[in-house]
This record gives sequence, C-alpha cells and structure tokens, in this order.
Amino acid sequence: MKRLLTSSVLLVAALAVLASAPRVQAQDKTTEVPLTAANQAFQPAEVKVKAGQPFVLVVTNNDPKKSIEVENKDLRIEKVVPAGKTVKIRVRGLKPGSYVFVDDFNQSAKFKVVAE
Amino acid sequence: MGATFVVVLREGFEAALLLGIVYAYLAQIGHAESRRYVTLGGALAVLASVVMGIAVSVLSGPLADVGPDLIALAVIFGAVVLLTWHGWWMGRHARELRGELQRRVDAAHASQQLWMVGLIAFTGVFREGAETVLFLWGLMTQLQDVSGWTALAGGAAGLVTAAVLGWLVFQGGRRLSVQRFFGVTSLFILLLAAGLFSAGIGRLQGIGVLPGGDPLWDTSWLLDDHGGVGGFLAGLIGYRARPSALEVAGYVVYLAAASLLFFPGLYGRGTHRNGDVIEPAQTSRA
Repeated sequence: MKRLLTSSVLLVAALAVLASAPRVQAQDKTTEVPLTAANQAFQPAEVKVKAGQPFVLVVTNNDPKKSIEVENKDLRIEKVVPAGKTVKIRVRGLKPGSYVFVDDFNQSAKFKVVAE
Repeated sequence: MGATFVVVLREGFEAALLLGIVYAYLAQIGHAESRRYVTLGGALAVLASVVMGIAVSVLSGPLADVGPDLIALAVIFGAVVLLTWHGWWMGRHARELRGELQRRVDAAHASQQLWMVGLIAFTGVFREGAETVLFLWGLMTQLQDVSGWTALAGGAAGLVTAAVLGWLVFQGGRRLSVQRFFGVTSLFILLLAAGLFSAGIGRLQGIGVLPGGDPLWDTSWLLDDHGGVGGFLAGLIGYRARPSALEVAGYVVYLAAASLLFFPGLYGRGTHRNGDVIEPAQTSRA
C-alpha cells in the first residue's frame, strides 16, 4: 500500500512536470485567440488559426450567471468557463479543416475554428 | 427544461451506472454491508466536485487554466493504477473465490480489498461532478423567473432519471449468477481501467503534451460516442468513435498487459476463456 501511494504521488508529480514544461517553453510563441461568450452565443463565431500550430483559446464568459463548457469531443477538450471568468484552453496543432466547438451546457451556442 | 434535463442526465448517467454495478457487485459477493465504502466514495466525490466547482469559480490565471486538467489527469491515472493493482490482487487470490466458496469469500481478504468499490464510486461521480455542480449552480441563480424554475425542475428530473437507471442496473446485476458475475466483474474492471487509461492519453493529447491526436478511424456512422448506446459504452469501457492512434495503442497495450495480471491463467492454459479463469485450475470439471 505504501509503495502504491509513493508511486501514485510520483505519477502525479510526473504529470505536473509534463503538463507545465511545454507550457513554459511555448508561452511566448503560442498564439492566443480571444473569444467571448454572452447571450448563448460566441463572438466571433469563426476564428482562423495556422494549421499545425498549437494555440490557446482565451474564452471570456460574459454571462453574469451561467457557466459554459467549451467542448470538442474529437479534440478531447472539455473545459468549464464559470460565469464572468476568463479561461485559457490549450489546443494542439490542427490539420487544415474546420472544427466546431459547442457549449456543452447549451448546445445551440457554437463557434468554428478554421485551421489553414 | 428539456435541455437541462438532457445535460444533467448525460452528466449523471455514467456515475449512476457505475454505482448500480458496484452496489450489485457487493450484494452478489455477500458484502452488502460494504455499501458504506461506495456511499463514502460517492459522497467524497460530490464534496470534491463542489470544492472544485467553487475553486474554479474563485480562482483565476494559470491555476484555473491548467488546475482542472491536472486534477482530472491525476484522478484518471490514479484510478488506473489502483484498479490495476486491485485486478492483480484479485487474480492472485482467484483460487479463494472459486467454486462452492464463492458466497463465503475469505472475509478478511475480501474486505481488505473493498476500498476498491469506493474508488470506483469516487472516480465515476467525480469525473463529471464539478461540471454538473457548476451547471446546476448556474440554474439556481436564475430562480427569479418561471423559466429558471422549469430549468431547475428539468435538472432535478435528469438526476432522478439517472438514479433510476442506476437502480435498474443494480436490480439486473443482482440477478446474474454469482459465478458469471465474478468473471464479468473482473472483465468489466479491466475494460473500465483500459478505457480510463486511454481517456487519460486522449486528454494529454488534447492539451498538446503528447503528440498526435488525429483520428485513426471513424466509426461514428455506426455508433456515435456522444449519447445513447455509444455514450453508454464510452463511459463504461472507453468506446471512441474517432480514436487517435495513441489512444488505441494505449488501450490495446493496457488490455494485453493488465489481462496477464487480472487473469493469470489466461495464457498458460490455452483453451480457457476469460470467464472461466475464476474456476479452479485443478478441478475435474472439464
């Protein structure tokens, strides 16, 4: 049990390092793509990014009360943006094409990321 | 109302299924009193979800950006480690769980291991817990008007429906034969852990820590993983309609490696299949 605990702690530590390392390196060159959510819609409804280039969606939820959950199942992204908050969502480099993200709490609100 | 019903049902469905299966498992092995582990695991997960929901709403900056990802990854991989260890233990002690003695599983050994059911309950509830808390919280703040109340009623109906589905699974699971249930349970835990492992890899790809991520194939025309049967399989055994190469590789490698631990006799005895491994190796049944 003790060994198990130790290995779990090590695993978590390794994950933390893994998750933070590329972040630090990429900080200055990663493109930030701002978006706002309000009244059950995203602004802008379509954004363009460079194909193959990781980027960060900076989503601001301007609704005073409702949380949203930015989701794209294919990209394995599910991220809650609480009411009135801004959250950065890392997205890997994408193949050329368009990718639709929805608010999982209100599926009619969507935006499209076009990679080219 | 319809929309909130669907959202809460979807978030609560997986947790309700897991709880139903785990409660049925305990009833089957004659350890109904160990339900407290499940209840404790579920309650801790609700508490952790509320804390996480509050933390996500209060915190900002890097902590709010990567914190939830790190916690989700830690829970997923931590659960995989513990479930694997449990499967290995069960495989090693399979002889004690066989034949006539199944109902009277070595009590001391078995109860040492029953924290595992609490872990499954915790993982199942916590995986979608924080999101559900934030979603319901948003509904609660709109109770000034009629639409707010109907939305809340929809959310409550979603939770109740999820609970009823869990209860049906519990009733169904209790009726399976004990022998079969043991085999199915080990297999289920194996697939559950493989699905979690693969989901963890997918999340690491999603945030760009692991390379790749483009789908290897697309079976969404056959079975979509967003809801219904596909969603059910996604939650339980990690079905993906558009899996990445690494997710598939992780799933297969985990299954191969862990089935050696879960079913020690599997590769040694040739003709026996998964469900039979809990049978004593030396009996004259065959």
